[in-house]
Amino acid sequence: MVTGTWRTLALDRTEGGYSVGAWRDFIVQGAAQGAIFAMIALGYSLVYGILRMINFAHGEVFMAGAFGSFFFADAYAKSGLLNRNPVIALAIVTAVAIGVSVGTGVLLERLAYRPLRNAPRLVPLITAIGASLFLQNAFRGFFGPQPYGYPKPEVLAGSITVLGVPVQKVQLLVLVVAVICMAVLQWFVSTTTTGRSMRAVAQDREIASLMGINVDRVIVITFAIGGVLAGIAAVLFSLTFEQVQFTMGFRPGIAAFTAAVLGGIGSIGGAALGGFVIGLLQAVGPPLLLTGFGIPSVFSLRDAFVFLVLVLVLVFRPGGLLGTGEAEKV
Amino acid sequence: MARRWIRIGVPAGIVTIFLALVGLIGGFTDVYLIGDQISFAALMMILPPFVAGLVAAAPRVEGGERLEKRILEAAVAAAIAGAAAGATFALAVVLADWIGDERIRAVFLNVTPQLMEFATFGLATMVGALAVIAVSALAGLLGGVLRVAPASIRRPVTVAVIATLLFGFLQRVIPIALDQLSLERDWLYSSQFHGLTWIGAIVVAAVAAGISFLSTRFGTRLRGSVARIGGSGGPAISPVRLLAGAIALGLLLVAPVLLGSVISEVLGTVMVFALLGIGLNIVVGYAGLLDLGYVFFFALGAYSLALLTGATLNAFGIPPEPAISGSLNFYVAIPIVMVIAAASGLLVGAPVLRLRGDYLALVTLGLGEMVTVLVGSPWLVPLVGGPSGMRGITDAAIGGFGFRDPQRFYYLALAFVGLAAFTSWRLAASRIGRAWTAMREDEQTADAMGISTTRFKLLAFAIGGAIGSLGGALFAVKIGSLTPASFQVIVSIQVLGLVILGGMGSIPGVIVGALVLVGLPGLLREFEEYRFLAYGAAVVAIMVLRPQGLIPNVRRSRELQDEEQAQDEWAKAVEEGETPPDIASATGATT
Repeated sequence: MVTGTWRTLALDRTEGGYSVGAWRDFIVQGAAQGAIFAMIALGYSLVYGILRMINFAHGEVFMAGAFGSFFFADAYAKSGLLNRNPVIALAIVTAVAIGVSVGTGVLLERLAYRPLRNAPRLVPLITAIGASLFLQNAFRGFFGPQPYGYPKPEVLAGSITVLGVPVQKVQLLVLVVAVICMAVLQWFVSTTTTGRSMRAVAQDREIASLMGINVDRVIVITFAIGGVLAGIAAVLFSLTFEQVQFTMGFRPGIAAFTAAVLGGIGSIGGAALGGFVIGLLQAVGPPLLLTGFGIPSVFSLRDAFVFLVLVLVLVFRPGGLLGTGEAEKV
Repeated sequence: MARRWIRIGVPAGIVTIFLALVGLIGGFTDVYLIGDQISFAALMMILPPFVAGLVAAAPRVEGGERLEKRILEAAVAAAIAGAAAGATFALAVVLADWIGDERIRAVFLNVTPQLMEFATFGLATMVGALAVIAVSALAGLLGGVLRVAPASIRRPVTVAVIATLLFGFLQRVIPIALDQLSLERDWLYSSQFHGLTWIGAIVVAAVAAGISFLSTRFGTRLRGSVARIGGSGGPAISPVRLLAGAIALGLLLVAPVLLGSVISEVLGTVMVFALLGIGLNIVVGYAGLLDLGYVFFFALGAYSLALLTGATLNAFGIPPEPAISGSLNFYVAIPIVMVIAAASGLLVGAPVLRLRGDYLALVTLGLGEMVTVLVGSPWLVPLVGGPSGMRGITDAAIGGFGFRDPQRFYYLALAFVGLAAFTSWRLAASRIGRAWTAMREDEQTADAMGISTTRFKLLAFAIGGAIGSLGGALFAVKIGSLTPASFQVIVSIQVLGLVILGGMGSIPGVIVGALVLVGLPGLLREFEEYRFLAYGAAVVAIMVLRPQGLIPNVRRSRELQDEEQAQDEWAKAVEEGETPPDIASATGATT
């Protein structure tokens, strides 16, 4: 890896090397994408913290929000509202995305996971995989297999310069919204009564219920919060890539899960950190580490990078970067 | 009272709406199962209210007591539940008609004029809605009556209905078999509508009901006498099971001859997946390690066989010879492929196996995805052809007798499935198998008993991987060329799905799972788009309703039952005010 980096940096522009500006773009792009991953990762992390269960279908919760918002965004683009009054239009679109994602997440919990609350650990995971496949194909049935072009308001086209760095407006929006969301979540979980009961349930479900906390309600709220974040992330993601399709939840879902694990699953700061690290790694890693070896089209190996990180983290530091590195709990 | 029944009916109605929106109603109005009346679309509309009726008529549990419903009460409950389901759906139809179906179609593609017409029986909207409610109430009523009918009636009727529907579904398979046997088929299947004729349906239903009736009547007696002969020396395999097994084996042997080459093609795929299932069953079912990246071994087997036997690259503009190439015979290459797979199973497994269950699942998922990305990446074009893949794979000929032909391939695959099934069966009964079981049930205890869990986990991984690679190698032989499109994550999930459906740890279960999850969609081409939808639904339903699978592993289901019995005893003791016996001591004896 070190040699790869060295060789890449030694490359001249004419030999396929990258300019300083290109690296800057990679970093900004990675940060923006990482912000989206971080928001999805929080959904995995919160649910895992409380149920000790990987909600494999969370990527589909995200996809559902994107699809739900698409039809409104498309209608507003056609009626002109999206460009005339982008703030209101995007607010409604985001509200729809949140609504659909929350609905999907809560329904999933109620129908598929709640009956398995006390089942052996692998049972809910397998169920979640089934649910993920089911949701993907239900949406394919509803709306067809083709990708839809997601409209973007004109205000968000182009780029502006922040602190001397050119940043695309969409990327700036993504970063700002993500940071706000995470700050609000942190505040919610650390200070409100509901947040406190969430932490209590995460620590010990049984004791929490003995203390008068309605565990079922807390779990539903957790899924709902995951849905809210996924819905917002879905709109940001769709504005960035300008496309929605029924398969769009899978790879971002895995990347986000990797981010959650990397940061230390169950911790909010960890998910945020992990998201940014994974985003940067995806954007900067392949050109930096691989171009020097003369490997063609390095970005096609981007996902392999994520999986490599997932494997390495789980093997060498299952507690995550911010985790305590505790041994497995049985 | 009525509110409870309506609360059962409304979700059923929502299910109907869902089925309509994904296109399972509107797109299938002309796929007939029986005559030209019962189409698949009609079945989809009747089924939810029917099930609602079944549920509404079920005995109510109050304070630990089962209150059986009387026939009249059950019938009313079921009819109300069915009507509620129908009303929910009808409301949606009326609403859709009011908004205008073409406006809804801009979002939900399947709200077609065809669907709207079918959902109102071609009548005016309001009249049609009433008709839907009436038909749904009737369907619910039937469900309810069936639920409270005595078992001697309920069983044969259920079997008859399922058999008839199955014959209806297999309208492309059974007629071909009849043709091959040069039997008359026009009385059974309508040549105009392709489904069963009414006479055919009645005959099938009658025969199925008769068989079911006789088997309950004499089966128990037979079983009883065998039990007496066998004494208390453990549960012998019941004669019914033995007979069913023998019949199934016979059918598997003659299937390609009976069914011709188109269906044999599908059956060949089923066998490849059965092989994968047997391999994954060792990892998931025996050792209890959830592996979501089984496609890793599938791809490894396929590509390493291709390389070892001298296949060429499909790529454009580079020499067709891969970077590594052998010219071995298929049967020489197979052991090498399996050794490679087992070795990489060890290599991959060694670092990851100490992880806890769900983390292991994700690591394996990651590994599987890495393989998917790598075989399709431009980087590895000189080795495996990248996106355009490889071609010219051996047909596994023995002295000029090739196996590419679907019917011949089926027998080759069946032979390997038999071999793998036998190996896996003997393994399960061996010391190794018992170690796996112990480890699966309680890893710490197994460890304390002196079982080296790491060693046995690795062994399961290696053996499972070797069998999986065999599946991959056969798959390569079957299609003769490889592209990365065949090695996606969905393969891992499909194999996991069939192991779960059949019942984890059960070999006959794996075969049935493969037939149902791979065979049925392959035969029902019309439903191709919906196979993964059904898959997902099946996995969730099995996990929620019947985690032991369709054909459970004997030992596993016994464990589950014992636990239930112990819990029942415990509950009873509590109720009677006694000191409850320790559940752990009641169940612990069997594990």
